[in-house]
Parts: sequence; C-alpha cells; structure tokens
Amino acid sequence: MGRTSGGRTRREAASLAPDGILRPVTALAKNQGVPALAAVAALVLAFGTGCAPRAAGDAAYFGDTTPPSGQVLTFNNGAEPEHLDPAVMSGQPDGRIARMVFEGLCSADPRTLAPVPGQAYRWDLSPDGLVYTFHLRPGLTWADGHPLIAGDFLWSWRRVLAPATGSRYASFLFAVRNAGAYNAGELTDVTQVGLAAPDESTFVVTLAQPTPYFLELTTFYTSLPTPRHVIEKLGDGWEDALALVGNGPFRIAEWELKNRFVLVPNERYWDRGAVKLERIVALPVEELSTATNLYKAGVVDWNPSGYVPKTVVPFVRHFKDFSGGPYHGTYFYSMVVTKKPFDDVWVRRALNAATDRAAIAEHVLRGTVTAWGGITPMGYAGYAAPPQLKYDPVYARECLAKAGYPGGKGFPPIEILFNTSEDHRRIAEAVQAMWKRDLGIQVTLSNQEWASYLAATTAKNYDVARRSWIGDFADPMTFLDMWITDAGNSRTGWSNAEYDDLIRRATVEVDPAERLRMLSRAEAILLSEGPVIPVYHYAETSLIKPYVLGIHSTVLDVHPLKGVSIDPDWRSHAAAAEATP
Amino acid sequence: MITFILRRMLLMVPTLWAIATLTFFMMRAAPGGPFQSEREIPAAAKEVLFAKYGLDKPWPEQYVTFLGNAARLDFGPSYKYPTQQVSDIIRSSFPASFELGLWSLLLALALGIPLGVIAANRQNTATDYLTMSATLLGVSIPNFVLGPVLVLVFALTLYWLPPALWLGPSSRVLPVLTLSAIYLAYIARLTRGGMLETLRQDYIRTARAKGLPESRVVFGHALKLGILPVVSYLGPAVARIVMGSIVIEQIFAVPGLGRQLVSAAFNRDYTLVLGIVVFYAGFLMVLNLVVDVAYSWFDPRVELA
Repeated sequence: MGRTSGGRTRREAASLAPDGILRPVTALAKNQGVPALAAVAALVLAFGTGCAPRAAGDAAYFGDTTPPSGQVLTFNNGAEPEHLDPAVMSGQPDGRIARMVFEGLCSADPRTLAPVPGQAYRWDLSPDGLVYTFHLRPGLTWADGHPLIAGDFLWSWRRVLAPATGSRYASFLFAVRNAGAYNAGELTDVTQVGLAAPDESTFVVTLAQPTPYFLELTTFYTSLPTPRHVIEKLGDGWEDALALVGNGPFRIAEWELKNRFVLVPNERYWDRGAVKLERIVALPVEELSTATNLYKAGVVDWNPSGYVPKTVVPFVRHFKDFSGGPYHGTYFYSMVVTKKPFDDVWVRRALNAATDRAAIAEHVLRGTVTAWGGITPMGYAGYAAPPQLKYDPVYARECLAKAGYPGGKGFPPIEILFNTSEDHRRIAEAVQAMWKRDLGIQVTLSNQEWASYLAATTAKNYDVARRSWIGDFADPMTFLDMWITDAGNSRTGWSNAEYDDLIRRATVEVDPAERLRMLSRAEAILLSEGPVIPVYHYAETSLIKPYVLGIHSTVLDVHPLKGVSIDPDWRSHAAAAEATP
Repeated sequence: MITFILRRMLLMVPTLWAIATLTFFMMRAAPGGPFQSEREIPAAAKEVLFAKYGLDKPWPEQYVTFLGNAARLDFGPSYKYPTQQVSDIIRSSFPASFELGLWSLLLALALGIPLGVIAANRQNTATDYLTMSATLLGVSIPNFVLGPVLVLVFALTLYWLPPALWLGPSSRVLPVLTLSAIYLAYIARLTRGGMLETLRQDYIRTARAKGLPESRVVFGHALKLGILPVVSYLGPAVARIVMGSIVIEQIFAVPGLGRQLVSAAFNRDYTLVLGIVVFYAGFLMVLNLVVDVAYSWFDPRVELA
C-alpha cells in the first residue's frame, strides 16, 4: 500500500482544507472524555502503531509523511476557544489563535521564546530598571487598514486592567505601577497607572519595581493590543471570529463552531514577507486518541504537546517526529494544612519521604515523564534550585513517629482526591500503596469529575489532592508566588512568615542574582515545611511532521507560526543532511 | 386525528416545563459552577462575570428569569463560549448530528429491511442463519469498539478514509457506518420477526391462494404489516439517532449537538445544557407524535385516542 494510498487521503484532506475549514484544540484536555472510550481508542491506536510501516522510508516516522500541496499547515488546537479577545482569554487554544491574529510590543523567538522586536522595533530601559520606552514601527496598521498607534496599546492595557473588563490574567500587567490597585478598584484614576503614550509612536511603561521578565510578559496574550476603533463600534460582538480585527501575521478567513478555523496571511502585516504559510487550519479535536489518529493519517501536521494520550506515548516516542523535551510544569499533590493530621509538619514530611517518585515515573507512567522532587521545573538561567526531595522510607517512618503516629498507629484514614483520568487514578493507587507499605496508614481514593474537583480544591475541601501547575513565563516566581499566605491558587491554607517575606523581598530586589537566591531559599522552605508533594516534571509530548519547518520545542509550549513553512522536498533535504554530517 | 394532535401538543407544554425545571435545579445542585478554573479567577473578574449572567441573584429569581426567557426560546449566551448564543450553538451543531443520524438511519433501513425480509422468506436456511448471526454481532458490538476498529482498519492501516472530522463526503463514511451498525442489525431482526408472523396470517394465505406472484405477496401485502415492529421502534430510534451520538461525535470529532451537550455538562455551562435539553425534549416529543400518527396509517386497527 504505501504512499499512493496515503497520498490520496492527504489530497482529500487538502481539498477539504482549501475550501472547507478545520478547527483548533485547547487546554481543556482535563480528561473529560469517556474513559472506557478513551481506553479502547488508545488500545486500538497502540496496536495500530505496531503495524508495519507503509513505506520503507517512513519507518522512522509515525504515519503518513506526504507533505500537503502548498503552504498549508493543519494542526490540532485541542478545543474550541472560549474567547478570541486576548484581554479576557485564559486557555491554550484561545492563546494559539490570538498569537496568530495579534502581535504585541515584542514577539517571541520561535526557538528560545526570548522577546524580539514585534510592533515595537526597539525599546529603552531607564538605568533604575523602572521605565520602559517602546518605539513602535512607523506605518503600523490593523488588519482593516486603520492606523495602529501607541494610544492603542495604552487603551488596550488599560482595558485589561479595568475591573469591569473581568480579565482573568490582568495580574500579568501588575508589574506596572499602580496596576494592581486600579484593577482591584482601590484606585479609580486610570492616569495614575504607569502607562503613557506621549506621541503616536511611543509607549512608556513605568514599573512598580524592576521586573527581569517584564519583556517576556509583553509577548503573553493578555498584553496583545486590541482594536479600540472596532470594539467601540461593535461592543462584545467584536469577538466574533469572522469580524475579528487583529494586527498579527494572520487573520481568520473562515470559522465553523467546533469544526475549524482557517487563517490566511494578513496582507497589511508589517513583516508580510516573513510569513510563508498561505493557510493555517486549526481543529478543535478534544479526544486525544482522535487527535493522534488524525496525525497518523496525515490529516493533521502538528499535534501540540499534551494532545497525545499518555498511554500511547510509549508506543510513539521512538519516532523521529515525536518530541518529548521538558515542559514548564509540575505535577504534585497538595495537602490542606488547616486540617488534622496535615497541620503537623512531620506528617507532611513523612508523606513526602514515603512517595517514591522514581517508581511512579518509571513503572506507572512508563518513563514518559521525569520524577521530580522540586516545585520549580528545570532550567532557569542562574537559578540554583534547592536539593530535590528524596524517597526515604526510613526517614518517612521517623517523621511519622515524631508526629505521634509510630508505625502509623492512630493515624486517621485520609483520602486522595483526583479528577477523572486513568493516569491520575494509577498514580493515586501507587501512592496509596506506597504510603500503606512504608507508613502503615490507610488511604482511600476519591475520583471526581473536573468541575466537582475544582469546587472541592478551591474550597479546600479535601485531604490530599492531585494538582498541577504550568508556568506562565520562564522564571521561578511563576511557581513560587502562588504559595504565599492566602494566595488564591495555593488552596492549602499554608502560611509561613519567612516564606512570605522572601517572596515579597524578591519581588522588589534589584540585583537579579540576589533575587534568585531568595527564591531558591523560599523554595527550600516550601519543600521542607510546605503543603506540597512534588511527583513529576511535565514533558512535552508533541508530534510534528518532518516536512513542517520552524516549529521548535519550547518549555512554555508557545510556538509562533509566523515563520513556519512546509518543505515539499523534505525527504531529499533530510537525506542530504544525513549525508553531510 | 386533529384533536389528537392538538391535545398531544398541548400536553407538551407542561412536560417541557417539568423537564426544564428539573434540569435547572439539577445543574445548580451539581458541585462547582461555570466560572472556576485550576487558576484562581480574580475576585473582580468573577464579580463581573456573575453580575453579567445574573448568578449573583438568589436561585428562585434566577429560575424565574430563566423560565421567562425559555418561554421565548431565548436561553441567552453560553457561559463557556460567551460570544455564542445558545440558540446559535444549537442551530450550528444540530445539522451535523442530524445529517449523521439521517445517513445512518437511511443506511440502516435500506439494508436492514431487505435483509430481514430475505431472512424471513428463507427461514431456517443458511442465508437466514448467516444474516441473523451477523446482525447478532451488530447488536452486541458497542459502537465505541466498532468505531476505533473501523478507524484502525480504514484510516490508519489502509489510509482510505480520514479517521475523523466532518469535512467532505469521505469523512462521513466511518461515523455513519459505526452509528448505523446497531440500528441496521436491530431493524433486520425486527423485520424478520414481523415478517415471519405476518407470512403466517390468513390473508397472506389467501393472497397466495389466489395466485399472486410471491413478490407481490411479500412486498404488496406482507411488508406493510410485517414492518410494524420497525415503525414503532423507529420513533425512539429516530430521536436517538438524529440527536447525535455522544460517543461517535467524540470519537470522530463530529461538530454535533451530542458533543456540545457533554462538554456543556462538564463545564457547568448552565444555559447551554438547559437549551440543549429543552431542545432535545421537544424534538423527542414531536417525533413520538409523528410515529403515533404514522402507526395509525400503517395499521388501520390502531385508533388514536
């Protein structure tokens, strides 16, 4: 069978794509599928991957490798976006669309995600590290031809911060002077916020304190500009997919609810020449097995991280088009420390030391993730993370004895809460067995579906819960400031004065090295005293066809598509690259 | 007949009201709500959302507002996709479910009835046994098994058809086959049973005795009565099949209403759930009515009362 029949599917899909539409996916992959269905589908997929390769040259790749005709990229966006308004959106699928349709002051380098000039062609930073002056490119326009000026950024950022907008990520701009107070309604005079547009091409941002990652924040979707002239005319209706006016490399040409987005280049984009793709089709396939099937069949060229079922990863990770680098997230258990017995730090230490992360990563998850005994993930320049927590059953028993439960005697039965997912269940079962074996304590499991689980964790109505956190920007702060007293995302009731103090001081510390030292000390306190049991470090699990050029592995799973292209001759290029090492 | 239809339609109103009310309170009773996230939503943002959707008001007031709007078939915007009106979501999702169901039903009828007739006509022959064994398989294999197996064979091994999506004719084949399998098998079995019974009736013997060709006996006389079991089965079946199959829409990423309903329930998207449930309920009742009327046409002995 081979490539001809594969080519047929591809052509068919392509013929759909040009005239029809495909759709995107989101981060709602919180395992809402029908479990039995997912399991069977995964099983079938697993067998499928075991089949003989269709063509000799394809053995190294997962499924069809016939490039589409033309510069067309089809990818799975994971879900239907909830919002297309960057100011209020909060999900990965929303963000992927927004990053194509809009462009911020800076955009992100496709490999490193380092801020590179976007709508601003250069910027200055005052010597005290507080005032950024952005200079916009001359002649910028919105996709509808309306001029884009510094006042648009001023208006957009103020709109994000205005309490009435209801932006979920307004805190991304809280580094700006008085932004937090204005957003909370404590300050009503918007001119007090550290934003100004002295002329049409200059945007000045005054920060509350030096923020080393501020430029990165300007690449985040909340910071993207929104078209005042359209919003004032259409109100909420401006978010209509087909009416959306952006300033980025692409614009939405077609949209069908829960079926697809089709994007085409924005002819008015300042860097139109750098945009290679003629068409992007984003599909909202939620079912992970389906998404992976579509990839294998060659209908989808890129299945971003997280959209490959965990059970399938062991079968596909040896393929060249699978990419499994580190991903900026941590999977952990948290405990409600206002409840007995978790109010005792020795209980928390005992549970931590009795958790064999390596066994979970190796045996339960079949080596698809990295066991991780810290809360911040790997890889921040200059950050020396504290030593990782280790599995130590002897020490665990000592801790439990110190808490007054030698050999687990008298320890009340506790419950592990997780949301519906085969993996969460298997991990919880493993932890349950470990704690019983090493500590002699009784653990029950409680499975709830997503919304119930959220309600329970938010209300701190649990003993131990499966949690996870994905970083927003490449800085340890994004994993640490959530644990200060009364922070909404802590959901544990934990409070530690020294920790709070370190985080507060790190926020205003001018010396970057000293700042990172403070954060490292804070993390050490969190690991030794805190309400968390780290389990593993997330890994990227994405599939990218070999003919797609320009989508790289990045720790934040952000992938600018501006410079991406399709290589119709990828085979000969790959062969040539192998011949000349 | 007209009185019957009118009375049935009047009865729908209290039924719909009861269903809507139950759904409203069941949704509110489910833990969690529409605006929660793994990441804390800032208090200010939450207030804005709650005020916007009237969730800051007490339940009874929300209920009254909801009933008033529902009576005008206006369910407001979805909570999860606030740029979409519930009615627009239903309008744009239902066609895919309907089309999927329609093709599946047509396929099931087009193959199921002839298979049943043939099997009945050759009762206790190899053809009969073969057909009935095959339909037994069709009835017993759940669609969440059949779907992935078809995908494995036709999409991932032979590369003939796309494994999912709802774009172009080729993408219809696998979901339609999967959805129709069980109905096809069931219809074949029902037809066979009905035909066997009918073929033993006196009037069939009479028809044969007066020398009618066998084809006229079967298709002209026996079939009309023989497929009555199929007709009564069709009422609920049509509703189920055209409302979309949740499982199949998930497996094949069909942008239908079933998929919307499931995700809406998970998301606690109150307005969307209510809208879809009321739509489903109304649709089901209308279909049942149609079947009852059709039944009296097929079998004049049935009196509508």
